[in-house]
Amino acid sequence: MKEILPELDRWRQAGERVVVATVVATRRSAPRPVGSSLAVSESGKLCGSVSGGCVEGDVYEHAREVLESGEPKLVSYGISDDEAWAVGLPCGGEIDVFVERLP
Amino acid sequence: MTLLERLLELGESGERAVLFTVLDGDAAGAKLLALESGEAIGDASPELAAHTVELLRRGRNRLLELDGSRVFCEVYGPPPRLAVYGAVDTAESLCRAARLLGWTTIVADARAKFATAERIPSADELIIEWPEEAFARIAPDHATAVVVLTHDDKFDVPALKAALASEAFYIGALGSRRNQERRRGRLLEAGIEEDALARIAGPCGLDIGADSNEETAVSILAEALAARAGREGGSLRESKQRIHLEVD
Repeated sequence: MKEILPELDRWRQAGERVVVATVVATRRSAPRPVGSSLAVSESGKLCGSVSGGCVEGDVYEHAREVLESGEPKLVSYGISDDEAWAVGLPCGGEIDVFVERLP
Repeated sequence: MTLLERLLELGESGERAVLFTVLDGDAAGAKLLALESGEAIGDASPELAAHTVELLRRGRNRLLELDGSRVFCEVYGPPPRLAVYGAVDTAESLCRAARLLGWTTIVADARAKFATAERIPSADELIIEWPEEAFARIAPDHATAVVVLTHDDKFDVPALKAALASEAFYIGALGSRRNQERRRGRLLEAGIEEDALARIAGPCGLDIGADSNEETAVSILAEALAARAGREGGSLRESKQRIHLEVD
């Protein structure tokens, strides 16, 4: 989350609620190291990334849900999933992404 | 002050800290920001702070399993520092390359006419001091790489001695093999233990056939990065390890 803090601060100051999705674990190869974050604002602004663009679309959908519910969730992506061909990592790795609304 | 505000302050103050986030169980989403100084804020268990020092030393984000729940630990702190003794041309190339990595750079030399901002514009800090005084000011820690470049025993020997007395994660010394042998003898005479000498990378750098100052800088920084990550520094093609750093 470190890299996107200044942007998060700007959004918060503008009065927006913010959801942050962070890579918390990787297995085998992975495009971004643990700690990489994608943030989504209430008005739909985006910053940062959790992969090379492979799963951001799906993470965005989860982020919208978490924005409304306030309940954090842990989402895994990898080629072992059935859904993988729709939303997966072509590099063959797996990542766990923690999606949370900032308090 | 909110946790986010305190996190932003860390960027300004350069304080080291770990942000713990509980990922599952009843406390999912709870956070604790624990500073190296002992200060801690947040709604997660204060006991998490016990892991702060070790995490800061490793300098990498990681996932821990604690009391049956998973906790993500994000490390905050200033970037590594490069401390160079010897304001020679290679020092400028090293600083330029280190900046590309996001590191901060310090160059020291006792010779005031060498250590100038015109000659070394990429140094964030220039120190005109003899090695003992210079290293007392730099105070290398576990996030500092030291490179000694003067080729002159009267600077290199005390500089290396000071670096060896610190926790610097990398200590490199430029110079031919013949110079290294002679310097080794001087360091032993100066009371340095044989074991400690093994910490010195000399001649420093990876074997990439570096020729120019810029190439030498890349070779040295690549070796320093490998040392920090606990890697050998060979070709990935030949490596049996994971491409990215293990996070266990």
